[in-house]
Amino acid sequence: MYRLIAMHETRALARTWALWAILALLVFAIAFAAWSGGRSVSRQLKGAGDAASYEVGLRDRMRQETAEYEAKVKATGGPYEFATVRHAPGQGPPQGTNAGAVGAETAAYIALPPTGLAALSIGQSDIQLDYLPITMGKSLAMTANAELENPVNLLAGSFDVAFVVIFLLPIFILAMTYDLLSSERERGTLAMVLAHPVSLRKLMASKLMARAAIILLVVTGLGLVAVLAVGNYLETPETWLRFALWIIVTLVYSMFWFALAVLVNIYGQSSSTNGTILAGAWLILVVIIPTLISLVATTIYPVPSRMDLTVAAREAQTAAEKNMDKSLNAFYAEHLEYVPAGDQRAMDFMTLGQASANTIEKALSPLYAEFQARRGQQQGLVQRSQYLSPAVMMQLALNEISGTSSERYEDFLQQAAKFRTEWNDYFAERFLRQDPLRPADYDSFPAFRYQPEPFSVVLKRLAPSLSGLLILLLGVALVPLPGIRRYQVAAR
Amino acid sequence: MIRIIARKEFTEIVRDGRFMWTAALMVLLLLTAMLAGWQRHSSYMATQAAAQGATNTQWLKQGDKNPHTAAHYGNYAFKPLGPLAFFDNGVTNYTGTTVFMEAHKQNFAIASPAADTSAIGRFGELNGAMILQVLMPLLVIFLGFTAFAGERESGTIRQVMSMGISRLSLLWGKALGLGSAVLMVVLPCVIIGAVFIAMTDLPMVGEGLATRIALLTVAYLAYAGIFLFLTLAVSAWSRSPRTALMVLVGFWAFTAFIMPKTAAEISKAVYPSPPYGSFMADMKAHRARGFDGTPPWAELGKFQGQMMREYRVSDVKDLPFYWTAVRMQRLEELDQRVFDQHFGAVTAAYAGQRRFQDRLGLLAPTLPLRSISMGLAGTDLIQQQKFQDDAESFREAMVEKMNGYLSRAAVSLNGVSSASNYLVANEDVFAIVPPFRYQPPALATTLAEHWMNFAVLAFWLVAAILLALLGVKGMALERD
Repeated sequence: MYRLIAMHETRALARTWALWAILALLVFAIAFAAWSGGRSVSRQLKGAGDAASYEVGLRDRMRQETAEYEAKVKATGGPYEFATVRHAPGQGPPQGTNAGAVGAETAAYIALPPTGLAALSIGQSDIQLDYLPITMGKSLAMTANAELENPVNLLAGSFDVAFVVIFLLPIFILAMTYDLLSSERERGTLAMVLAHPVSLRKLMASKLMARAAIILLVVTGLGLVAVLAVGNYLETPETWLRFALWIIVTLVYSMFWFALAVLVNIYGQSSSTNGTILAGAWLILVVIIPTLISLVATTIYPVPSRMDLTVAAREAQTAAEKNMDKSLNAFYAEHLEYVPAGDQRAMDFMTLGQASANTIEKALSPLYAEFQARRGQQQGLVQRSQYLSPAVMMQLALNEISGTSSERYEDFLQQAAKFRTEWNDYFAERFLRQDPLRPADYDSFPAFRYQPEPFSVVLKRLAPSLSGLLILLLGVALVPLPGIRRYQVAAR
Repeated sequence: MIRIIARKEFTEIVRDGRFMWTAALMVLLLLTAMLAGWQRHSSYMATQAAAQGATNTQWLKQGDKNPHTAAHYGNYAFKPLGPLAFFDNGVTNYTGTTVFMEAHKQNFAIASPAADTSAIGRFGELNGAMILQVLMPLLVIFLGFTAFAGERESGTIRQVMSMGISRLSLLWGKALGLGSAVLMVVLPCVIIGAVFIAMTDLPMVGEGLATRIALLTVAYLAYAGIFLFLTLAVSAWSRSPRTALMVLVGFWAFTAFIMPKTAAEISKAVYPSPPYGSFMADMKAHRARGFDGTPPWAELGKFQGQMMREYRVSDVKDLPFYWTAVRMQRLEELDQRVFDQHFGAVTAAYAGQRRFQDRLGLLAPTLPLRSISMGLAGTDLIQQQKFQDDAESFREAMVEKMNGYLSRAAVSLNGVSSASNYLVANEDVFAIVPPFRYQPPALATTLAEHWMNFAVLAFWLVAAILLALLGVKGMALERD
């Protein structure tokens, strides 16, 4: 019986222009979203690649100069010396022998690699820089981490597959189901159909199945095409695990909207009333609640302005400069091994820089910690209030699955901070000991290797959103059950 | 006659349960948004003023040092906002608030609020402008989609027409009734917003506040009018109220949600702009190889020869100015050409993207309105660009003043090693650099940039009215 009705419904649907219009729009939207998502990811990769290769080029040139210098020293038999920092080209050992110059004047660009599905959900990755310059002496707190993008485009947001699934898919689903029962009742055919040996529940389930099957087949099919077209690392199982999760959350989210349409149909009245109610529900769940949550989160836990942080950093810098002797002494007190022989204390401005950077970083760290803490509180509030809206749960879930979540970025920042210490320590030590760099040393510079998060961490972070969606779906799907019995079959 | 129809329509709408709910929701949201916007704006302005004041003092009290070193220490520009930003925050969240102005380097504005908020912020910001741009049209649609289609379904339209009422008066009457109902919801909130501004003691950035508010009101009224007449047109054309609702809601989603993103994505492809990494790499490489292929050190060598010839000296230490400072200023000018080219290219790409998106307003009335609203509120890209330009002019003047002072004051140090013996200046010298002041673009400039958007909005209004007229003229009176 189910099959018979479902088949009939599918045939009937296939003859309406509305279905074809909706499917065409869906195909077009997902294709466009995949195209723009792919462009966004390759833009980031290009930025990361260009930045890294420029800096590597600088170091290669320095290395070549030291190699030439080494050969010259070998030929003439002089000592292999350390160059002091200067900016104009001239005589003497090249800058490449000075670890301070290499560590501070070239940057090591470290990158957060995109996941296989990065193009499907852009998240914040159009704002946050996925590649960071690491240099000696400059703390991460003061490193600009903003991608270069037109603010008008950032305001509009990305037209990515996540947008299609979260915003547009519900509209298409509701357009196909808002009059699931009411239209038949209005035409008077519902009573006729129910005169046959079929229950209302069966009829509704079959009608629903026909619609759900069409929409979901198309969405998962298009999702697969999108991954094949603009996904990365298609040969790794992780990408396909992520895609499986993508399918699961998308199905649950879509089912929620189908269930909501059924709920309104059971308790609603005319088709146009149903339409109004469902459009209103979409508006509240997808537009109003998310913006309200964001408003509340930023009002209750306002992140201290970066402007304050800037002024405080400057305050610390001025103080450090004014007390150069003091900070130099403090620095040498902590690093006895670097105290130079004789009275030549302040070697040059790099040593001073290194010393004052230390002071500034110390002065800034409580402020930066507060900054980070507030951000964490804000994040926490969003995490807790996501259950108010399926759209928010879905956005967080899709960002997590695509590897564009704030948590993954935070983890990257922590790895970056660790690497900065490593980079800084390596060059600072060689510099302060005035130990000249040799060409061979260039191979032993600290190298950043991104440590991917274990997949279990991804699952753990996905769990709240996914279970929230599931519970919401169950709730909405079960509520209409008692109402079915009381459904007015004939129009009043 | 029109008045009678309008009154009947108004009463009917206001007594409908739909009105109560939607109106209550709208008013509540508008008030929340305005209050939150006001709170955020006041705290931003307080922070900005404090930060700018502090950094101005820091510049003066940075301690005695060489003027060029002082230029390296530099200064910060923090962006102030106009009072209307509380209503329309525009691109503010996505633009840098801070520019570091230092010797040798032009910097981008950094520290945008969006970089420090969670991803949920990307659902949009609930502010007055967002509510009027996105929710108000939906209110119009919800209240008006049954205007003709509903009466046709219940059969009353035939009766009405049999009483000798012209179709035109019916249209104007319904438009007036529907319009009054919408205004009844929106107007109180707008008045409250105006009172907020009147009460403010914040510094007024940007002149012509009254004109700006008046123009904003006109633009939003036109926008509401577009949806009002479109709703009536579709309601007259459609066979049933539910078709009317579907078509209208579809158009609303298209113009308010789909088009802004679509326009942005297409404009990025038409006017590509470089990512940060590529921009920096290209600019640094260009700077190192020289603007037109002559490296800076070679240019400086040429410049030295030129100066020595000009002043007929055989050694730089005989020059009548401090050579090191003049040389540094020359380097500054050489670099400036590279900065101008690269930063200029990004600015041009962004401006191209913005104009392209505005032109797509022919497909979606939300686009021109959004631009007009941001422009008048002083929160659009043009103002951001002006802020960055002002900061850059300040930077160039600051560096030039410091190098210039050094070149005159340190003549006696020519030829002396600058590492061991250099001129030290104090606060009085640093004071020749006046504090940074942002001068927002004049209202006339804003209007000149946006006249096309006004034209597109007017085109939409006229088109909507024509469609409504055609709609009622060809309207069927009975269900088929």
